[in-house]
Amino acid sequence: MYKLRPILKTYYDSLEDGKVLGMKCTDCGDVVWPPLPTCQKCGGYNLDWYDMGDEAVIDEIRYEDSSVGGDYTFRKANDYFVDKSPYCICVGHFPRGTEQFHAALYGVTEENKDELISQLPLKAKVKFIQLDGGFKSVGFEIKK
Amino acid sequence: MKQQFTRPVSVVGTSTLGQRYFDDPEYEGLSIYELWACACHQAMDDAGVKPKDIDKIVYSQFANFVTAGNAMAMVGSLEEWAGVAGKPITHIEQACASGYIAFTEACNAVASGKADIVLCAGVETPKHFNARNQPAYMIQPISKYDGWWSPGRVLFDTTYYRFDGVSDNLLTEEQGKYYQKHYGISEETLDETYNAMAVNLRRNASRNPRACERKEYTEIAKENGYDDVMDYMRSDHNPKITQYIRKSGSVLHNVAAGAIIVCSEEMAKKLNKKAVTVIDHASSSNTQRHPYCFHQMNVDVRDALYKNQPDLKGDDLDLMVTTVMTSGEQLDSAEVFGYLPEGKGYQYELDGRTCFDGDTPINPHGGDLSFGHAFGAAGINMISEAILQMRGEAGGCQVPKPVNTCLVRGMGGGHTTVGILLENQQ
Repeated sequence: MYKLRPILKTYYDSLEDGKVLGMKCTDCGDVVWPPLPTCQKCGGYNLDWYDMGDEAVIDEIRYEDSSVGGDYTFRKANDYFVDKSPYCICVGHFPRGTEQFHAALYGVTEENKDELISQLPLKAKVKFIQLDGGFKSVGFEIKK
Repeated sequence: MKQQFTRPVSVVGTSTLGQRYFDDPEYEGLSIYELWACACHQAMDDAGVKPKDIDKIVYSQFANFVTAGNAMAMVGSLEEWAGVAGKPITHIEQACASGYIAFTEACNAVASGKADIVLCAGVETPKHFNARNQPAYMIQPISKYDGWWSPGRVLFDTTYYRFDGVSDNLLTEEQGKYYQKHYGISEETLDETYNAMAVNLRRNASRNPRACERKEYTEIAKENGYDDVMDYMRSDHNPKITQYIRKSGSVLHNVAAGAIIVCSEEMAKKLNKKAVTVIDHASSSNTQRHPYCFHQMNVDVRDALYKNQPDLKGDDLDLMVTTVMTSGEQLDSAEVFGYLPEGKGYQYELDGRTCFDGDTPINPHGGDLSFGHAFGAAGINMISEAILQMRGEAGGCQVPKPVNTCLVRGMGGGHTTVGILLENQQ
């Protein structure tokens, strides 16, 4: 029987405690992040909380000029970020499983981007992004 | 092609109301309700039916809560304005895919045998709104909406996706990244391709009185002192608004209403109208957290549609009509569906072969970049343009060859893609 339990609150509460949680299917072993109560591989609903660790593998770095202004349709993706430090977009995955995801990646600059891209795939630490709504989201940061 | 419904479905009527801005003097004093009524009656007149003949309405609108006085369910009012009060009506909200999904649901209603004649209609005003304490004709620019509304941002749900700092960028950049990664095309060539695409689509739109922007870029370039239109397209007059996308490559928002009448094949024969057969439809939804989800949805829809058409290759279609929110979408979808050769479609754009009078026409009406795009009504407007082309009634942008087969491919919100196959079979 499907067990009714808070998924989102547990996830965001854990971010406040410095931990990134995903979920692992006890039937097929597939891991999903961000957490979902239904397995994306087998469709089962027997999933347990799973610590994703504090590091991801970055597969692609998409460096682009995020200062270019869009029209009213496409606003800044970081509108609600408290810290407006520049970041780029990456494609990555957690070493403990999951499909690839998009995420914000800090620490890439015009000066180091070519070198970093030549080193792909590379590891990046989880960086908690403070939102002005009073909660955190997950990004990543290249080790200095 | 082999139609896939247990009960064959035909299109027998369409509206022809143009894409305009509420700032346009010809729309002074109007609200979305007049446009809705006009489109519905145009389609019913075209089909030769009266409101009493309609068995069901499927209506699409995406931003009604924001733009229409914070109304959550306008179905009763809209029915009254079209003269179909009391009939069953279904409201579809699936972002800019709403119109396409409304059409597929209208077809399903006929195919199931539950309805013989269905009115599929949509209305939307992306850039204006009426306040909750005023009647609908008192419209204001959307920039005055309390809390300022970002259509791009609202496309992401609040579970996680609105807060990752990534999703907005994906709306515009994903296809360009994919194309460069897989086909080795330089960023400069991609820029030239996107500029050529914008020029081609505007050339199409300049011949279509229903299009929103009808002045060709060649003319605009000359007005700004450029003899070569491509020099103009590369200039600061056409600035980049993201890494790949220039102003000319971004969707044009406007107000519009649209309507289509679908009915059973036997009813179409009774009405004695020029009918277009709906062969099949398919859709796929995804989330933008997945890299290249736009491309993947095209693949999923192609596979679902083409598996039932073993002889269909894509390049044997007479016409492709496809959503082009930003430039990369047209190129990616045309190649995935086999209408243009994979990895080589950019050359077709550069050579002008995708123009309405080229050998592989795409969006002869002007596409979302020049024809216009009205959110939840856009899909219906795009299908209407396909129907006009297939009937040979598109006017100045009519493809100069018989258009007997057409793929309409639509996308909305970055999370739903739809494919519809149409054919002249009668």
